[in-house]
Amino acid sequence: MKYLIKELRRHSARTIASISGYIISTVFILLSLSVALTNEKSSFGILKGTGTHFIVYIPTNTSCCVNCNNEDSKGSLVAEGVNTIMLTSDLIDSVKKIKGVKDAAPYLLYKLHEPKYNADISLGGIDMNNIATSNNVCAKTNLVSGKFLSDEPDELVAEESFAMAHNLTVGDTLKAYGGKFLLVGIINSGIKPGKADVYASIGNVRRTLKEDLKCISPGFDMNIILVEVSDSRMQSQVISQLKDRMKYFSISSYNCYQPASQVMTIIGKASTLLTILIFIFLLIFSVKTQLTSLMERSREIGILKSLGWSNTRLSNQILLLSLIQALTGVISGILIGFLIILLLNSNQIMLFNIMEFNFRIRVIPVLIAISLSGGLIASILPIIKLYHTKAGDMINNFK
Amino acid sequence: MSDRIIECISLYKEYISKKQKADALIDINLFINKNETVLLKGRSGAGKSTLMNLMCGLIKPTRGKVIIDNNYINDLSDDELSKLLSEKIGIIFQNFNLLPTYTVFENIEIAIFPKSLKASLVKENIMYYLEQFNLKGKAHLLPSELSVGQQQKVAIIRTLIKQPSIIFADEPTGSVDDETAGEILSQLMNFRSEKQGTLVIATHGNIQDKIADRIYIIENGQIKE
Repeated sequence: MKYLIKELRRHSARTIASISGYIISTVFILLSLSVALTNEKSSFGILKGTGTHFIVYIPTNTSCCVNCNNEDSKGSLVAEGVNTIMLTSDLIDSVKKIKGVKDAAPYLLYKLHEPKYNADISLGGIDMNNIATSNNVCAKTNLVSGKFLSDEPDELVAEESFAMAHNLTVGDTLKAYGGKFLLVGIINSGIKPGKADVYASIGNVRRTLKEDLKCISPGFDMNIILVEVSDSRMQSQVISQLKDRMKYFSISSYNCYQPASQVMTIIGKASTLLTILIFIFLLIFSVKTQLTSLMERSREIGILKSLGWSNTRLSNQILLLSLIQALTGVISGILIGFLIILLLNSNQIMLFNIMEFNFRIRVIPVLIAISLSGGLIASILPIIKLYHTKAGDMINNFK
Repeated sequence: MSDRIIECISLYKEYISKKQKADALIDINLFINKNETVLLKGRSGAGKSTLMNLMCGLIKPTRGKVIIDNNYINDLSDDELSKLLSEKIGIIFQNFNLLPTYTVFENIEIAIFPKSLKASLVKENIMYYLEQFNLKGKAHLLPSELSVGQQQKVAIIRTLIKQPSIIFADEPTGSVDDETAGEILSQLMNFRSEKQGTLVIATHGNIQDKIADRIYIIENGQIKE
């Protein structure tokens, strides 16, 4: 160890060059990973929410209300323009248990011809505080005017297009569905698979259908299951499992989850590839440094061999030197990289103040392992060369 | 036969550089007995240094064998050769081969480092030899801060401190003044007499034949009969 430390100190320029190589590589890996993570986090944040939702229902050719007593209830439970059968809410729990499902919500969508408005009006009963509802039907964030639904009875929100078509404004009363509703808000939910003309809380819609329209249906819970998956890459798997459980399910999704999933997979692979490339760069640099060091020290090592230093002792010295340089380099690199990331995140640098750079503690052992393995591999070639060269040839620099 | 400590049998050495072959040694056959002083005489480039390097296993012969202390030196494993070099063989190089970034003390210390002696014993030994060679105050200096004669003395101390049974000295007085040359030869002869050691000296002719028990003259890579 004494000669090891002396060796490092004596050839300080070479030692600094070698350690600098590890520092540069480590900082480069750290910053690349940070950029990749930031990129991944930002794009995944967007892409994860792209195409992560779909609706499930069972289509039928008859209306649920054909046997209803009330002559006014000539509507039907619908989804995407077709009649559907009623589903029981215990299905929600079994859907939630499927791996990859983030949340599921019941949805009751009823369509009725209202002579007063001379139009078919679809009424959606929603579970208001559910992400599956927000992404498949509507959300508070879609509000254009007024307020969103609360648990108050007889409250409605209307789609902007419906309100405009029928000259409705916030505060108006909508006489439909055998009762009166107060229009508390107007929303624009955009293109959603479960879109309706007006929405109320699912409890209110259930009560309206049962009590006002006298609809008779067993297990009067919902006719559509709204599903939100955790990641667009999981969507195919979840749909496949749902189909396996119930073959009569019709599943409707916007297929944008497929390109989103592909983009996320590409980003993930690109990050891995980048790390591998930097590791290869680090390895080549380290091997070159160690080999150059051996070439420079060739005469010295030859002299030591001629004095009786064994190849094992000299190999250990080369290996330890390489590992010490790698360890010093990686620790310094982590500290420098951390400081650079702090600086980039301090909003002092205008170019980067729109991005937040991430530093993950868990990459530290990985970086140390990468550098040490780099140091280990880098010392293999010099050690092989040491074993295959006689002392006299090293002293006289014969190859 | 039992007195023989070194024997070279049909020894050849070729150097190949850029597809050109050069015969450095051709069919060398010689022997050296224990406690002998042997001179290998010849002009520069005759092959003396190559022969010495072959005899102590620092390079491989193209053909032929070297036997040292009943060991075929080229058949020894790396560890066996290292042991032989650290315990039995001392080499004094023509150009000293001191490590330029090591101090005088460290240059000597590295020779006994493989023996893993106690630090205090190592220091005591080194200081003793430095005093013997009038270098006591030079322990902390770098080789570049010494005269050529002093550098040669350090190289000799580095060899003697190992207390080998055979010393190969390549032109040990080649680049020093007469007074230093006399001092160096005196120390080497002391080694021979006190340690019952074997001394092999390569020289181009500045060492008197009378100190030798046997003389081999080398010309163009061959021993002249």
